[in-house]
Amino acid sequence: MNRAAEAEERNPLREGLSARAAPQPCAVVIFGATGDLTHRKLIPALYNLAADGELPPATVVIGFARREKKDDDFRNELEETTKKFSRQPVRDEVWKTFAQSVFYHQCEFEDEAGYKTLAQQLDKIDKERGTRGNRLFYLAAAPDQFEPILKNLKAAGLSEARSGSWSRVIVEKPFGSDLDSARELNRIVRNSFSEEQTYRIDHFLGKETAQNILVLRFANAIFGPLWNRHYVDHIQITAAETLGVEGRAGYYETAGALRDMVQNHLLQLLCLVAMEPPVDLEANSIRDEKVKVVRSLRRYSRDDIATNVVRGQYGEGAINGKPAPGYRAEKNINPKSMIDTFVALRLFIDDWRWFGVPIYMRVGKRLPKSGTEISVHFKHAPAVLFNKGGEALDQNVLVIRIQPDEGISLRMQAKMPGTHFRIQPVKMDFHYGTSFGKASPEAYERLLLDAMSGDPTLFARRDEVEQAWAFIDTIEDAWAAKENAPELFFYPAGSWGPEAADDLLARDGRAWRRF
Amino acid sequence: MPAETYSLGAPVELGKIDKELKKLWQEGEGAMTRASLVNLAVYSEESGSLEKNTQLVGKITEDHACRALVIYSDRAAKEDRVEAWVSAHCHVAHTGSKQVCSEQLSFRLEGPCAKLLPSIVFSHVDSDLPLYLWWQGEFHEPMNPQLWAWVDRVIYDSHDWRNFDEQMRFVEAAQREARQRIVLCDLNWTRLDRIRFALAQFFDHPASHHHFNSIESVDVKFAPGFKSTAILLVGWLAAQLKWKTDQPTMNGSCRFLAADNRKIDVELRQQDGPPVGAVAIRSAGIEFKVAPAECGDLLEISRGQAGEPANSQLMPAQSYDLADLMTQELLRGGAHRVYLRALNCVRQLL
Repeated sequence: MNRAAEAEERNPLREGLSARAAPQPCAVVIFGATGDLTHRKLIPALYNLAADGELPPATVVIGFARREKKDDDFRNELEETTKKFSRQPVRDEVWKTFAQSVFYHQCEFEDEAGYKTLAQQLDKIDKERGTRGNRLFYLAAAPDQFEPILKNLKAAGLSEARSGSWSRVIVEKPFGSDLDSARELNRIVRNSFSEEQTYRIDHFLGKETAQNILVLRFANAIFGPLWNRHYVDHIQITAAETLGVEGRAGYYETAGALRDMVQNHLLQLLCLVAMEPPVDLEANSIRDEKVKVVRSLRRYSRDDIATNVVRGQYGEGAINGKPAPGYRAEKNINPKSMIDTFVALRLFIDDWRWFGVPIYMRVGKRLPKSGTEISVHFKHAPAVLFNKGGEALDQNVLVIRIQPDEGISLRMQAKMPGTHFRIQPVKMDFHYGTSFGKASPEAYERLLLDAMSGDPTLFARRDEVEQAWAFIDTIEDAWAAKENAPELFFYPAGSWGPEAADDLLARDGRAWRRF
Repeated sequence: MPAETYSLGAPVELGKIDKELKKLWQEGEGAMTRASLVNLAVYSEESGSLEKNTQLVGKITEDHACRALVIYSDRAAKEDRVEAWVSAHCHVAHTGSKQVCSEQLSFRLEGPCAKLLPSIVFSHVDSDLPLYLWWQGEFHEPMNPQLWAWVDRVIYDSHDWRNFDEQMRFVEAAQREARQRIVLCDLNWTRLDRIRFALAQFFDHPASHHHFNSIESVDVKFAPGFKSTAILLVGWLAAQLKWKTDQPTMNGSCRFLAADNRKIDVELRQQDGPPVGAVAIRSAGIEFKVAPAECGDLLEISRGQAGEPANSQLMPAQSYDLADLMTQELLRGGAHRVYLRALNCVRQLL
């Protein structure tokens, strides 16, 4: 998407081979290399890229972590987990050559001397492997470790790119826990890396269907004229999970659904759905338009929050016929926890295009099924012909399925066969998996390649993150108030959330779409 | 696991194809989803091709849902005969248990009926979808201008051609009929995809670009019968790096001139193995090498001082299986401008 990156690439042999900027060989240094993210996502993604021939062959991976370990032990552990989590089977020959480029660097994050030896190791690798001074630092460690890591990278001269090379940092979410902490985190990152060098990863944006929202909207002429307050009645975004906290109790108790999902993933999706057409496909042109959406979100007073936001927490219930404990009964959870495992919001974007169009969002754990979908509900047809004097016809609904079963469907009205004029809603359905036999790459694969190519389009910019937190903070502050805080509603595991969430739409004469 | 076999399906009367197709879906067992992204017409004059192409289409539809029109034509037959069959190729989608099915309509046209080709194609394409025509073997007169006006992409394999220049004239005439709208897709060019990719990646870093100005020689090994593939590869390098032919082929070698009059010696050597074997580019004492790895379906790539051991890496190699080549070709979009440039650069050598 990034034309700047393409313009820099003047390799004439690349012409026609790929529609994207070529990733450059580099050393990928992963901080938190023994953690879950590295084993489940990052190394399998890098392996898959190598197996598909997408990873520049000179690329080297260095795992940076505290535990004592030898290169070979690290490689063996990674092989085992990659075999488990890779989207394609691991081939011994490919793994063997891939693993030759994987190294382990044992060091405490606070140990300055360890970064100097890392710098020496990287220089050596540059000479031996042809990584040419390009470095990609991946912060897969806990956020409280970011500061010493970034400070020490700077002190060792690793944050500064040498002439003709680059140095970039990928920051994993959460990007703070509120506006102040996000600003503080951004300050810490900025002390070592410029905004252009910083890639804030939100894996939702690496999903094929999230990227397809832009194609759907701006490569098809039919939707443009309808995509506004004149034709759209309302928009719904649902992100449902059947899972509970699953071993993330420590984090979840401090985050909750609003911080964990809405601040990043759901607001990012909303931006793609609601943004104005960018002037071009440059990363900043797209991000400029996205940030305008977040800035235009109507800010609520405390009273407004009680009427427009519903928070919930799952109680005991059943998922797929199996009993499921309530949130407070889960392991390592405070039995009096007030954390939100469900949020429903009624939002408004106060801009020219969307003024007065409600956006309903809901996200929750322990819901009856898992999936993320966006639905655009168009206004009713005028009640002058088929529906004259009778029941209103169903609305046309355009559904964008983000996961699973990625695709797009459109609901419309059709005459039922017969001599009578009976009308029935029908669905036109496009499934990625049906139309395209080729499996999509994992989001991390796409995003790692983008970072290596210098294309930040699918990464969050500093102002996007801060604006999102500014919006979320008003809600969190109201919930944390000692007096008159909005109620926390309970819902049984396996239900679609508390009744109050249904009332949010019922008050407007609407209902959540059947998911 | 034994390879799946596909059949031509049920014979149908020519005028009842639509009805039979409808029946096929009504009587199908279990949940099936019909899918189609393109109309793929496969045309051949080789006897036995209907069965062979049915197997190929069966494999292609695993990755690329389409409405396939498989046509065998025998223009020399004395008796007029038209036969048709309908069938479906169903595969479990990669996302789950859903059966995704592509329709195949097969035709045998014999004698004067062979002229019916355009009308057969026109009557049975899935509306609003692009038409890809895979023409197997050589083109010949008469070329029906009506047909070309409908075709979006014509797929052929120049490797099979005996007279390249004559065949290209047919293709170009077809393109003129279609007012240059047809995209030319040569499977002989598709064969080079992975090797081109592997060679290109050596020069992704701007610091390697200086090598373009000091390339001294190129060695390409090719299997018997695949010299045209190797020449196309050289044509690609020459066209993209702006070389011009200096000396025509002499015993497998030729010479190109770079824009600065630098000479580049190209050696083409026949050797048993995959269609295109090892390729080495030498520049300023560095050898950039791509060679088939021992395991067969991977490429070993290395960069280092000529003659000295270098760190090697593996990349996926090209599959030369016809169904895989077609699948690869169908997944590509857009015009093949680079191909045409490469072709024009070495046309006199082909």
